[in-house]
Amino acid sequence: MYQPISKYLTGALCLVLFAVVLAGCDSNEPDDDGPGETELITRVVLTLTGGGETISATANDPDGDGTNFQIDDIILTAGTTYTGSFEIADDINGEDITAEIEEENAEHQFFFTVGGAASSRVTVTINDQDENNLPVGLDFTVAVSDGDASSGTLRVILSHYDDEPKNGTDRSDETDFDITFPIAIQ
Amino acid sequence: MITLIGPCAAWAQSIEGQVRGTDQQPLPGVNVVVPSLQRGTTTDEDGRYRLADLPEGTLSVEFRFIGFKTVTSTVSLTSQPTTLDVTLESETVELDEVVKTADGASALLNRATLAVTRLEAEEVELLRGQTLGETLGKLPGVTTLTTGPSISKPVIRGLHSQRVLVLNAGVPQEGQQWGGEHAPEIDPFAPVRIEVVRGAAGVEYGVGAIGGVIRLEPRDLPTAAALQGSVSMNGFSNNRQGSGSVLLERAIRAVPGVAWRAQGSYRKAGSSHTPDLVIGNSGFEELNGSFTVGLQRARFGLEAHASHFGTELGIFRGAHIGNFDDLQRAIERGAPTARYDFSYGIDAPKQNVRHTLMTVRGRYTLDSGDQLEAQYGTQWNRRQEFDAHRRFGNPLDDPAFDLTLITQTLDAKLKTKPRGSVFGVVGISGMNQGNVNGELGYLIPNFRALTGGAYARATWVQGPWTVEAGSRFDHRWLRAFPQMSRLEGFVERVNTYTSLSGVVGAIWQFAESWSVAANIGTAWRPPGVNELYSFGVHHGTAQFEIGDATLSGERSYNIDVTLRHVSERARFEVSAFNNSMDGYIHLFPEPEPRVTIRGAFPSFRYVQTDAWLRGLDGVAEYQVLRFLAVGAQASIIRGDDRRTDQPLIFMPADRLRLSSTFSLPDLGVLRDSQVELGGSFVSRQTRFPVGAEAADPPDGYTLFSAGYRAQLMWGATPITLSCSVENLLNTTYRDYLSRFRYYIDDPGRNVVLRVQFPLGFSDS
Repeated sequence: MYQPISKYLTGALCLVLFAVVLAGCDSNEPDDDGPGETELITRVVLTLTGGGETISATANDPDGDGTNFQIDDIILTAGTTYTGSFEIADDINGEDITAEIEEENAEHQFFFTVGGAASSRVTVTINDQDENNLPVGLDFTVAVSDGDASSGTLRVILSHYDDEPKNGTDRSDETDFDITFPIAIQ
Repeated sequence: MITLIGPCAAWAQSIEGQVRGTDQQPLPGVNVVVPSLQRGTTTDEDGRYRLADLPEGTLSVEFRFIGFKTVTSTVSLTSQPTTLDVTLESETVELDEVVKTADGASALLNRATLAVTRLEAEEVELLRGQTLGETLGKLPGVTTLTTGPSISKPVIRGLHSQRVLVLNAGVPQEGQQWGGEHAPEIDPFAPVRIEVVRGAAGVEYGVGAIGGVIRLEPRDLPTAAALQGSVSMNGFSNNRQGSGSVLLERAIRAVPGVAWRAQGSYRKAGSSHTPDLVIGNSGFEELNGSFTVGLQRARFGLEAHASHFGTELGIFRGAHIGNFDDLQRAIERGAPTARYDFSYGIDAPKQNVRHTLMTVRGRYTLDSGDQLEAQYGTQWNRRQEFDAHRRFGNPLDDPAFDLTLITQTLDAKLKTKPRGSVFGVVGISGMNQGNVNGELGYLIPNFRALTGGAYARATWVQGPWTVEAGSRFDHRWLRAFPQMSRLEGFVERVNTYTSLSGVVGAIWQFAESWSVAANIGTAWRPPGVNELYSFGVHHGTAQFEIGDATLSGERSYNIDVTLRHVSERARFEVSAFNNSMDGYIHLFPEPEPRVTIRGAFPSFRYVQTDAWLRGLDGVAEYQVLRFLAVGAQASIIRGDDRRTDQPLIFMPADRLRLSSTFSLPDLGVLRDSQVELGGSFVSRQTRFPVGAEAADPPDGYTLFSAGYRAQLMWGATPITLSCSVENLLNTTYRDYLSRFRYYIDDPGRNVVLRVQFPLGFSDS
């Protein structure tokens, strides 16, 4: 009496086994041109114009993960005042991000810190303001005082304000980039 | 046609029917009892019974007969006589269950050679938390790893994720379990009994059962041919969560042995809050459902089960940081700078998780009396994670991360009937798994895994002794397509892993109310794809994590001794364990931080070492007076790296929970009233690897709770009510295993209301 059911069960089992084996043939080769994971910055170019010259220093992190991360030195001339600007790019996805930061300038702020012996010689001033009259930093001035040759660092941080209130003084917990350029004064 | 609950009116209702066995033969002498009315009768020679003069309303009827499983049916009585036919199933010899006798105490004493906690569906009802992790976190030896209030995953004896196997309706639950922020995709309202096995159980459960196993078994389908069901509703004050579940089930009269069950649940929660602050964007919305249909006959059975889990949950926005410097400033400040208001809205960052499971299982008893069982399962898991920002599109619509994992499993086993004092099981199992990472091959690559295993186990039972032994062979083939950096293309990598596991265990019931069990077992797991191929920053912890494609499998050798006592007034179960792990895979700090354009990140590499996990856990209950019971449970664990003599990271701190339960006399319509007071004492974790974490473990804490529960009799319908207050004193604390401990306190006081009532439908 139970024979037909047992046969049916055996048949079902074979079918299921077959399905398992069949599904195992598909390969799952990945697709190569997906979008980037998150907001990504891979290259920042800092340009300083003053004293009849234009200095351009690049920080380039081609994969965004620190492999082959290169930072140029910045050579400044004593007694010169420079006007500064940024070019910020995501080279993996071929995007220029500078304009986006300009558009969302109320949610961003640049912070400049001069370190080392040069800290007493170099002053950075932010010239631009957002809709709330708070500093942004896409347009800035670097003033180098007269004196002997010296060296130090210029750390540039871009803070992103999402929920955190931007107050013009405090950095946020969301750093978009944090680059320390070596500087030399000649 | 349908009546739900009616108040008590005329006592003119009656029920009658026939009770039969699965072979369709009438059963005389079956006890038919209505516990709420303390009335009953027995069936006559034709298996027929009749109960008259019953109140109008919904009541539950129990059918008890020695050698058969007790059946409880809920029925709604109207003025017409109600027919309730019932089929009783004989108590079958279940390998995993008790073999010796049906006696309750002996069952507990001889439960398993490993430490096991079993919760029946009704107990799950009372313990139910906001998530499955929370529900299980109240059991001995289990703690939870949380990522904010909406994500919690169970940690068994210090191990979690890929080291804990979740068996859902007999099938290993396969989701993206590699992350601490990935909770098991399980409906907390699922009508299941839950069994938590602590310790390595590789022979019984296969790959991954290193730390333990969580088994969720759908409860048996009804045998009564009347539509019945239940409704559960929960409310949580802290995150203003409302949730509910409806269950309907019945056996089909026309086809003996056929029954079905449908269940659905919905939960919606807003932001939780600490004693001081709202945890912004920590709400969730979840919709789950399941359907089971089965055919049970004396010699064979067939059951199909389908379930779907779907959740959308927010991740606390204050935990979204840019680099390690940001993390350090957040830790120093101790609280987020932004203030949030309560909201039910779910904003980015968030997760969308869907999990669908379908299983078919059959059993067939051979002429020899042995039983053949087979089960096929297919599951589909999709995990989408949405980052706080997204340049190419809307962060709420375009996931940063989109994984689809499809898994098929097939198991077949032959359970032998006892021959002399020995019985056993032999089986094979296979799994085919494919992962597709949207278009992002970067973090978790596309992969295909094929796993096959074969095992055999035998149990010998004689007098006070139960002895078991078993062995299992497993093999896994894994092909992955990792991308080693954002700039490089995908490479194909193939690895194979093979393992042999074994178990020997014994139980000795050395006195009437005492037993001691010992188990020596091994288990293994191959390295996970994240451990092999990760390369990038782990959000939330600001760690740069680097995988190692040459990792080999991880193996655990576990020794476990459990002392059990069950008597009229006392019950206790205490286990000591020593889990020695070879090739334990963990993240080890690199000497130099990783400097990227975003800033510096401490760098960690997946390495293998040897580890010890040792400890004690257990539970004790004592009935001091007729109306007063006290209970205690404790978990102590020590984890050490045997090569460096450093403590292991993320080991749960020692904890003790004390409780006292007062039973109150019945008062009017309130029955079985109980007041419970409890306290949980969690010490500070003082054993941690120095320098591996951004901040030292937080202080210990004490939380108190109070609760009241009762059955409210609405006519003859018992409505289960409970009200409890967790974190009664609104204590500010941070648990070491809270992944947001760097940013914000754990949630404050929470008042939880639970209501459950049965549904009965008259047939007329």
